[in-house]
Amino acid sequence: MDIRLSGVTKVFEPDIVALEDVYLSVDSGEFLYLVGTTGSGKTTLLRLISREYLPTRGQITVGDRNLRKLRSSDLPYYRREVGVVFQDFKLLPNLTVFENVAFVLEAMGIPPKLVESRSNEVIDQVGLWRRRFLKPPQLSGGEQQRVAIARAMANSPSVFLADEPTGNLDLRTSEEIMRLLLSINASGTTVIVATHDQYLVDAYRQRLVELHNGRLKRDERRGRYFVDGEL
Amino acid sequence: MASFRYAFRDTFRLLFRHWGLSLLTLLTAASVLYILGFASLFAMNMRYMISRIEGALVVQAYMKRGETAEQALELVRSSPLVLNVRAISPEEALERLRAKLGNQAQAVTLLGENPLPWSLEIQVQRAEHITPLVRDLMVLPSIEEVLYAGKLVERLATISRASSAVSGVILLLTLLISTLVIFNTIRIAIYSRKEEIEVMLLIGATSTYISLPFVFQGMLLGAGGALLAILGLGSTYSSAIEAVRSTLAFVDIIDNRRILAQFYVFLFAAGATTGWMCSWLAVHRFTSQSMRSR
Repeated sequence: MDIRLSGVTKVFEPDIVALEDVYLSVDSGEFLYLVGTTGSGKTTLLRLISREYLPTRGQITVGDRNLRKLRSSDLPYYRREVGVVFQDFKLLPNLTVFENVAFVLEAMGIPPKLVESRSNEVIDQVGLWRRRFLKPPQLSGGEQQRVAIARAMANSPSVFLADEPTGNLDLRTSEEIMRLLLSINASGTTVIVATHDQYLVDAYRQRLVELHNGRLKRDERRGRYFVDGEL
Repeated sequence: MASFRYAFRDTFRLLFRHWGLSLLTLLTAASVLYILGFASLFAMNMRYMISRIEGALVVQAYMKRGETAEQALELVRSSPLVLNVRAISPEEALERLRAKLGNQAQAVTLLGENPLPWSLEIQVQRAEHITPLVRDLMVLPSIEEVLYAGKLVERLATISRASSAVSGVILLLTLLISTLVIFNTIRIAIYSRKEEIEVMLLIGATSTYISLPFVFQGMLLGAGGALLAILGLGSTYSSAIEAVRSTLAFVDIIDNRRILAQFYVFLFAAGATTGWMCSWLAVHRFTSQSMRSR
């Protein structure tokens, strides 16, 4: 699914401008890095696309849906098409890895047998098969991140949003996560990754969009994190 | 179909994962429903006793000599306040007098011609209906005299009105308290799963899917609480019947099994419905707030 933002501004009360007049077009099946310093508006932009927030001004369309006009009764169905990996994972600590992944599918009313087979499939894909009956507090940060990815990809979403998916992870784990995200993108899913991990951005070069103080500063195909001469 | 299966499974997960809270809700529901049931039984018995006394109240209207009871009978029959009316002929009245006098019945022959007039025996639905009826009868030209237990009627009418008002207020208050207590206990249960619900909403669960386990949980706790309350009430009430029979034999108290069974079924339904409504309201409020995009 393609994503279009036209003139999007988000102001939080009382007058904190998180995003200002952002125009952005992401084609279906594209991979995009969203970079910028802390507070540049990366998370706000992802939350606008997942319709956690509504823009103060401007329009956002995802596929053929105008998010401002989306009725609350249609919101769950929209969110099922958008897989989100949250910065803080948002895993349920008293459910096992398997249950954390399965409950996304159960919420969609999918029969138990299919829930089981699909959950096992994605858990295997993220390399957590042997840990599927453990609970999040028993897992490392990287493993929890992978559970969050497995949960987001369980219902094969058309759009995949990941907010700092490699934050606080070691290099090896970060690379594993990155390869996982690229494999999700390879299946035709539109992927947007908010990050400030310069190593990964430069190692796996893709389209790069930089935000600065809520404004779009840079938009480059196969861009590098730092522009020549910036360092 | 699968959604219902998950909802039932999650209902039991909810009940047992937070078993302390579930037990607290169950006991709270049982206590408030017990108080509600007790207040209702008290009100029902008050009403029953008063209506028994009211049912025994009779207004006697005597016609003037030579007048028949037709006109008065027509008026009384057309009144919606009247439960039953019977016209007593002079001959029947004389027979009754003879019966009353027993072995002195011969004395009535001394009266010569039967001096007794036509009369009406009227039973009303409630004590408070007597005064307006008497007022209507007194204006009829054929009526000589109307006899009724004046002061008693007025007092009964006052007690009847007061008892209806007091029991109405008690019932309303206990119902309100039960609703609030069950609503708040279920709200606490919902807040203890706040994070889980928010994640569910973010990953695309519908509010119906999220609400169902809470609604089922509320219904189960409400119905369970009602069952406990019914058991408690049943034992208290049968002891009360025994105690009243042995000490205040003249007091009428409801002991009809059918009426009591109907009342317990009603209390059970009230418990389940209150649980269902309270949990639906609490979870609906929470999900609507959480779903609102900022």
